[in-house]
Amino acid sequence: MNPALRNIVLPLACLAMLALVPVFAIDGYTRHLFVIAFIYAIIASNWNLSLGHCGVFNFGHLSFFGVGVYTTAIAAKTFDVNPWLAILFAGVTAAIAAFLVAAPVARLKGIYVVLVTFAFSQLAMQLVLSQSYITGGAEGIVRIPYLRLGDYSFLKDYKLGYYYVGLGLLVISTLFLLAVTNSPFGKSLKAVRDAEDYAAARGISVSRQRVLVIVLSAIFTGIAGGFYAIYLRVASPEVFGFGTLSLALSMVLIGGAGTTYGPIVAALALTFATESLAGLRGFEEARFIVVAVAMILVLRLAPGGLLGLLDKLIPEKRQE
Amino acid sequence: MTETLIATLVSGLVLGSLYALMASGLSVVWTTLGVFNFSHGALMMVGAFIAWTVSEAAGLGLLAGITAGTLAAAVIGVIIERLLIRPFYGNRNMLLITVMTTLAAMIILEKGAQIIWGARLKQLPRLIDGEVSVFGTTISAHEAVLAVIAPLVLIAIWRFTVSTSTGRSLRAVGQNQNSATLIGIDVPVAFALAFGLSAALAGLTGALLGSIRFITPVMGADPLVKAMIVVIFGGLGSLGATAGAAYVIGIIEALLILWLGLYWTPFVLFLLMIIVLIFRPNGIFGSAE
Repeated sequence: MNPALRNIVLPLACLAMLALVPVFAIDGYTRHLFVIAFIYAIIASNWNLSLGHCGVFNFGHLSFFGVGVYTTAIAAKTFDVNPWLAILFAGVTAAIAAFLVAAPVARLKGIYVVLVTFAFSQLAMQLVLSQSYITGGAEGIVRIPYLRLGDYSFLKDYKLGYYYVGLGLLVISTLFLLAVTNSPFGKSLKAVRDAEDYAAARGISVSRQRVLVIVLSAIFTGIAGGFYAIYLRVASPEVFGFGTLSLALSMVLIGGAGTTYGPIVAALALTFATESLAGLRGFEEARFIVVAVAMILVLRLAPGGLLGLLDKLIPEKRQE
Repeated sequence: MTETLIATLVSGLVLGSLYALMASGLSVVWTTLGVFNFSHGALMMVGAFIAWTVSEAAGLGLLAGITAGTLAAAVIGVIIERLLIRPFYGNRNMLLITVMTTLAAMIILEKGAQIIWGARLKQLPRLIDGEVSVFGTTISAHEAVLAVIAPLVLIAIWRFTVSTSTGRSLRAVGQNQNSATLIGIDVPVAFALAFGLSAALAGLTGALLGSIRFITPVMGADPLVKAMIVVIFGGLGSLGATAGAAYVIGIIEALLILWLGLYWTPFVLFLLMIIVLIFRPNGIFGSAE
């Protein structure tokens, strides 16, 4: 495929299509699925920044999302902060949380990175469960204030407003990711991933790049968490659980770690796939098994993700 | 004051025994295959559910249940090794890929258990009823059995890896696969054996724990996290260091619960873990590679 076509025209065409979806999908449920898919797309593509582009195996990525959810929920509900502002706060606190976990992780190697980041996310969940007078404990926080713009309430028009806010956040997050990965900094991240010793020899501070990439990957993940809390009007400790973790991880892997659009495409596809499975009788729990099996199959058969597989197939056709 | 302290130390010893059983299984797989098994907690949970099914639902008695739970976990462990780990041997990113495949295995086992056994809480009867007095404090006899079984099992594994030729072949494979192949060790068999042994340990732990805690599909998550903290403290490299760290963590946790309460204990443990990692990235007892 022509690079210009692939990197500019195709994404813009997809964006135009997504912008037109609410014209055709007039029911609240379809739009709801899209909003959830946008949120997952932000989580997965930002996780991909640290996992795919820099090779940092951060297993606590979902805890940044959770920090965002609870920041916004507490700010908007307990302290009456304007919901728009509360969503932005989430990006700040998620970045701070990311720095706290990144600082000790930066110098670790291999499995210890996984263990510490994973333990961090478990700790965050423990914190939420135990400090129930602030977080609502296992029951969570409910009836969080909704978005308003002047006199317009976002609860109206079958989630039309939320659809465009979600899409807008995804677009901004993607532009941010593109800017990061195409900058010299982004290239240094790939150097750290592919040739750590060589990168260090060329004067790149490996641990500093690792801390930075984890913090950068947390900003929009936290904002997505904030938006999630405001949109669903609920914050519950489930966001830290294995269910969300495995779903987001499978999006990164199935979409193709290291590609920019792969995780976004996979997030949209998987959200709709798992939601339609949830509608089938007996598949409410089994859908997670289906996703887990899909993840294993992709790791086994197409380690570059399905989008990477597509790339491999197309040049072959051209040669024929 | 002394009485509370002794009671705390005894409960720390029981916790430590539990963590030692869990973490030693992780350590066996790590030293042989170089894989960190995220499904270890889920294997424990399967052991508990199978033990419950055989012992309570089928009414065959607790000992039959514990045996069945241990064996079932071992079989599933071997299957996991065959399907989810063996295809990735020799891959440059094997460590990280197997983290993801064993995580997927965990999801499959947990959700599978939820579908098969439902969400209702289950519990096994105790091996021995009644209470035992230890240094002037009383604990349940079942917990005492756990505290006695754990070191015995650990010594058995240690003797197995040191003095039997099969056990030594596991260590040889862990140290150098190519040399092990050259002297005639069947490496895939050794891998399956190590994984099966580790899974059996998990199943046994689950079956024993099923009398103390409720059996639920997610019961393995908390012991897995604790076992992770243990292996970070002790390093993953040797069985002795892992077992030692398990008891240290068990006692520290019991003391922290006494002084700080249940809520803040996980934080302090986590902080300790971070501090250990900053100064000793291979664990307190780990060798600096």
